[in-house]
Parts: sequence; C-alpha cells; structure tokens
Amino acid sequence: MNADRIGLALEMRQVSKRFPGTIAVDEVSFEVYAGEVHALVGENGAGKSTLMKMLAGSFNDYTGKIFINDKEVELHSPSVAKKFGIGMIYQELSLAKPISIAENILAGRLPRKGFFIDRGAMRTEAKRLMGKVGLDLDPDLPIEDISQHEAQLVEIAKVLGTSPCILVMDEPTSALSREEVERLFDIIDGLRKRGLAIVYISHHLPEIFRIADRVTVMRDGKKVGTKDIAEASREEIVQMMVGRSVKEFYKRRERTIGEVRLRVRGLSRWGFFHDVDFQARRGEILGICGLSGAGRSELARVLVGLDQADAGGIELDGAEVRGEGMAYYLAKGIAYLSEDRKSEGLALRLSVEDNTLSAVIPRLTRGIFFNKKDGAATVRRLLKELSVYPPDPARTVGNLSGGNQQKVLLAKWIASDPKVLILDEPTRGVDIGAKLIIHDAVEKLAEAGNTVVLISSDLPELVGLSDRVMIMRKGRFTREMSYEQCTEEALLLAANGEESA
Amino acid sequence: MMGNLSAKAASAADGRSVGSNRLGGFVNQAGIYGIAFLFIALGAVLQSFGVINNFMSAQNFLNIIDAVALLGIVTVGMAFVTYSGHYADMSVPTTMALAGIVSVEILKYGFVPAVAAALAVGLAIGAINAIVVGRLKANPIIWTLAMNYVTMGVIRFVWVNKQIYPDMKTDDALTLALFDNIFRFRFFDLIGLPVLVLVILMVAGQFLLMRTAYGAQLKLTGSARKAAKFSGINVERVVGIAFILAAFTATIGGLTVTSLSRVGAWYNGAGYDFKAVTAIVIGGMTLAGGRGSIIGVIGGAFVIGLMNNIMTLLGIGTFSQDMIRGAIFIAVVGINAKSLRSLGRDDA
Repeated sequence: MNADRIGLALEMRQVSKRFPGTIAVDEVSFEVYAGEVHALVGENGAGKSTLMKMLAGSFNDYTGKIFINDKEVELHSPSVAKKFGIGMIYQELSLAKPISIAENILAGRLPRKGFFIDRGAMRTEAKRLMGKVGLDLDPDLPIEDISQHEAQLVEIAKVLGTSPCILVMDEPTSALSREEVERLFDIIDGLRKRGLAIVYISHHLPEIFRIADRVTVMRDGKKVGTKDIAEASREEIVQMMVGRSVKEFYKRRERTIGEVRLRVRGLSRWGFFHDVDFQARRGEILGICGLSGAGRSELARVLVGLDQADAGGIELDGAEVRGEGMAYYLAKGIAYLSEDRKSEGLALRLSVEDNTLSAVIPRLTRGIFFNKKDGAATVRRLLKELSVYPPDPARTVGNLSGGNQQKVLLAKWIASDPKVLILDEPTRGVDIGAKLIIHDAVEKLAEAGNTVVLISSDLPELVGLSDRVMIMRKGRFTREMSYEQCTEEALLLAANGEESA
Repeated sequence: MMGNLSAKAASAADGRSVGSNRLGGFVNQAGIYGIAFLFIALGAVLQSFGVINNFMSAQNFLNIIDAVALLGIVTVGMAFVTYSGHYADMSVPTTMALAGIVSVEILKYGFVPAVAAALAVGLAIGAINAIVVGRLKANPIIWTLAMNYVTMGVIRFVWVNKQIYPDMKTDDALTLALFDNIFRFRFFDLIGLPVLVLVILMVAGQFLLMRTAYGAQLKLTGSARKAAKFSGINVERVVGIAFILAAFTATIGGLTVTSLSRVGAWYNGAGYDFKAVTAIVIGGMTLAGGRGSIIGVIGGAFVIGLMNNIMTLLGIGTFSQDMIRGAIFIAVVGINAKSLRSLGRDDA
C-alpha cells in the first residue's frame, strides 16, 4: 500500500448473509482504504450486490462484523448506513424526472427560511455540489431536460451532498458513451484524491484496469482473492471469476450456409433508418454492428411487425411478408428477442413455464382449448439444453439470476421455432457462464439451418459468432465485413465512421 | 464442457432463489372457502349464545345465497378487468342501472326485446371502455369513473330523474311475470335462477381464464403488458374483451337487481363497484393483475354475503357496515402487498 493511505475506511470481517435455502455471501472479508478505488468483480449471482446491499443497510440479519473508520457498526437499516457515511449509486438512477436538478440533489433536506424553501440557498448549495462533479448547468432545469450522462453526474452530486466517506458505484458506465466514461473517470479520480473510499462494481474489465487500485473477485458467494491492479492481468482476473480458462470462448464450429432465407429491400422508417438492403441465408449468423442510436433496434422492430415500414419490403424464402401485427410475422417464422429483458422480454411475476410458452399460445390451442401440457415437454427440453438453474418450470422467473432469466428468454424464442431469429443484445449484463451457454444455443440454431440476425454491442461476441457483419451508422448500412475481415478494432472504427486501413 | 457450466450456473442462481410459488393459488382458493366456513361457524356460535336469531335457518341461507348470487354475477366480469392489470371497472353501477331502466322501458315491446335492449346498452358501455382503456390506454379507474358519471347523467336526463315501474310500461301479464321471474324463479322451489346463472358464469369464467388461449394471453397481459405485446399478443384486444365481459355481467346483474326491486332507477347498481372489488381482492385476485381465479373470487363474494348477513342480524347499521367493509378491504390489500413484498415480489 502507498504510504499516504491513512488507514482502512471500511472493513467487513467475515460477513455472511443467508437467504432461505442458500448462502448468498459466505464469510467474506473485504477491506477498502480511504483514497482507494476498489473494484469488486464477479459473475452475476456471485454475491457482489448482496455484499453491497449489506453495506447499504438493507439487511438486519447478516452475520460478521463491519468496521467503518475503525469503529464497529451495525448496519441494520438504510438510514443508519447513511449516517455512517455510506453513499450508494446504483445502475438505475433515483432521480425524479419532472423536478429540478437542485431539488433532486437536495431532496429531503431543502434549505428553509421559516415556512418557505430558501430558493437562493438551494441554488447555491446545488451549484456547489454540481461543481464537485464538474457539472455546469442551470440547477433549475428539470431532470428530463438533461442527458443521461448529466443525470448520472447529478446522482453523484446528490450522494456527495450527504458527505459520504465510502462511495459504492454499481455499473455506473452502462449507459454512457466512451467520452462520457472518460469524464466520469476524471471525477472518480478527483474523489479518490480527496480521500474517499470508492467501491466500483463493473463487468467491464478494461474500465477496472483504467480506474481501480485494487480488485476483489467474488465467486459463488465467496471471496476468491484481492489483487493490486498493477500486478494483475486481465486473463488472471477472468480466470478467478469463472474458475477456468477463457480460451474456451468462441471456438468456432463449421456451419454450412444454404440459400437465401431473408431478403430485405429498401426498407425505411423515416427518421430511424433508410434504404436498408440485405439478405441472410439459412444457417447463417448475420451480425449487425452500430453505436447506440444507429437504428439497429428500430430496424428489428420493423422486421418483426412491431412497427410499420414507411417504404421497402421483406421477403422470407422468396415470398413477400406483408401483414400487420407481430402475431402475423411470428406465425411466418420471424421472431425477435428484445434487448430489454425485464420489461419487454419476460413477465417476471410468472413462472418459467408460462414465460417459455408465452410466444406459442396460438400454437398450443386446439379448438377453444389451450393445452399448456402439450408444451411441457418442450419447456423441459429447453431448460435442460440451456442449463437453466433451477430447472424448475414452476419457479417464478423474477427469482432467477439475470443469466438464467436471459436463458429463459432465449428458450421462449427457440420454442417458437423461428426460421429467422433476431437477437438484440442477447447477452447484455449476463455472466460468462450464461453467455457461453447462450452462444452455444445460438450456434446450434444456425447449424440446424435457421437464420440468426445478431445485433450486439459486445464486439468480441459479434466477431466470434457472426459469419458476416453489417455495419450500421446513422440509420444506414455503411459496410459489410466477412468473418475473415472482422476484428474488434475494425468494427469499432467502422461503427464510428472511420475507415480502417 | 456443458456439464461444468450447468454446475456453474447452479451456484450462480443461489443468491436469489426464494421458495417455490406452486403453493399460492390453491391455498388461496381453498383458503377463502375456509374463511366462509369460519363465518358460518361464527354465526352458529352467535346464535347458540342468543346474540342473533334466525341465522341457522333454511330461509336465511336462501337469502344469503340470493345476495351472493347477485354480487357474484357482477364480480365474475369485473374479475377479468382486475386480472388484466386494470384494477376495476368503476362504471359497473350505472351500467347495471342503465341496463335495468332500459329493460323496463322496452318491456312495452315484450320481454325478449327488453332483455336484448338491456344487453345492447350494457355492451355499448363495455365497448366504449374497451376502446378508450384498451386502445387509447386511458387510466382505467379515472376513465370508468367518468363513464359512470356520464351514464348516470344520461339516465337522469332521459328519464327526468324518475323511477319507472314495469307495470307502468306494460299490461301484458306474461311479460310482467317473465320479468318478475328473472330474480324470483326457483327450481324445485329452492334454487333461484340467479344462482344458476352465477354457477354458469363461474364455470364459464374459470374455464375461459384457465383453459383457453384468451386466458393465457390475459394472464401474460395482466402480469406484464409490454412483454405480452413483444410476444405477439394483441394486448389492446385482450384488455378490451375484459372490459366487455365486465359490462356483460354487469348487465345481467342489472337485469336481476331491477327484477328484484321491480323498479328501474339510476341508483339500482349503487355500491356494487366497491363490493365487487372487495370480493375480488378477498378472493385472492391481487390488484396487480395476472393472479387468482374466478372460483376464488366467488368465494370472496360468498364471504362478503355472509359478513353482511351476520352484521345485519347483529343490528349493525348500513353506514357502519360500509365502514367495516372498507376497513377489511384496506386490511386485505395491505396484507397482500406486505406478504408479496416479503416474498420479494414487491411489484404487486
């Protein structure tokens, strides 16, 4: 440790948290120094969030000891945690959209003058806190009028206003562009210099190597180890996370590519994408690469009939597909796995079985009878093929881990037996184990002669899985790359509108 | 390789696994009839101590069952609205009143036209709700509440705030007798026609909900509307049908109430909105949608019928009864929300 590190800001000593039937956090010891950015990594379900929830005072029944600035504390409620200087910044922002930046930052502690709110003092104080995160905006602006990135900084300013000594950030960059990430890192750097202890949770290893001082890896509720970032390699950390080598990733299998299955001609939806032409063959995985806002998801929505095209046409196996509503396209064999698992993909309150069969209700209906039982064998087969845990069709989907939820979502679309399956970010926010299983299932789908259109921001995934990649930029297809041409760097440059050499 | 992965995935899920959810439905359904039984036992005990009289009599049970039938009929349709995730149809009271007063008015053309006219106006209200809430996505409570006031205004305007009586509209003895018998006809001098109607609606409703494609689509829509839409389900139609079903059973309820009171008037369905919602939540159908069953909901109506009967026999006034019912509604919704939250399903 550097000499200027005064001491431990946080020490969690052999803490555990049980849920009925399982141990989510098992005797974990975790230490963060003041003036340190400490990355916490692990696959989904490894126990990171539970550990941090413990710190935020969400549980009153954890075991083990927690020390803050060398003083033992019992963090049995969120208000106690706040009092001891723990600030949390979650992935989902906690800001009220219609009210102003200042009111959000000072929510619950607005300065008063008698019965009235002291507007002047409110603005000054908000300005001061906004200054700490380098935000130069009118504090009277409502949150809905500022960008996602600015809202994220407002959130940080809000937490800083409670003068925390420990700041926990959970995937703070998931909605930010590259430049915005850099600016956020500058701010985190500044906070570190001022002596804050920062816990940084992320799936992005490059970010961790860029910003963290040390990294702690968790797996299966246990701590695997803590390393100085200077002494760690990416390979090593991934290996600690998964417990096996990453070399297993993307071992490409041979596929035979058949005749044209999907042909899209001059497809446009004004304002979103224009004159899109492409074709995809049987047994092919066609990648679509583009930055957010390039029109990828909008294209997918038109391809499955969720939105109407303004111009152009779609052909499936040589026959024009022309009809209204997603049900029509689904019956023809075009399916769409949407990028938003929680609201558009799954009904979280329903069972695994109900979800898996939710796209095939018409097919399980004979006369007026809906025969759910006829789908039971399919559900069991898919749960097994995709290693969904627990393999219990009656389990509520919302109670599964993110990775297993995503597998159920994929199972739902495989169950619909699509000729063309459009996948929109099929592995976003999913742990490596689930990712491998999903990739394997996607390849199998293609091997069986189906067409897969893969929309993804995960470049290694695009490079590893796709037979061809189309680059989409500002609503147009700008380039096509074959498997041989395709590298992460080339894709990234093309998506940003720069030509690779 | 895959073998390792499944073991891996197994441990990955642990942190979040919570008890299975197979219990819920059946226990809830059976439970509500258990509660009904407790109320009967309570009535028997109160009678044995001489606190109330005439509870344990054939006549009293017939009264209870008739009242339950009336409420139950209305509740079956309303339950579809709740199940669809749209809370309740607040236009039920005036749908009942309008159907009733129109049927009395049309009696002059005969019994069948009267019933047909009632169904026509009732379903028209249902269709408007279906379009405005289903397609235009208006807030269901606010919209149907507004609809309720508009319909009440229409009734009071058209009939100039008057009640109308069947014998005022027709002299035909057969027509009058038929209309009277909507409520009063009894099979074997015992089982009333409304009871038979309720049983038919209950069986049909349960079947529709549990065994048809529509039921499966409604469950998905009620649980997660957006996910349903992204599964290729026409959610607008699915929700719309739920409102039409609510209007349909409200119309039948309206005819029955009007036959019972032998008067067509704007206040004929008053109170059935809240009573039906209470029966629905007591019967284990949560306001969040997608949970519960018609059988359970009718159990809820049964409990309310028993409770009302015992309270009346105890000499508790109408207003106090309202307060008690309100308090029970609040308690049930509160307990429901709390128990769901403790199970980690706090979205309900």
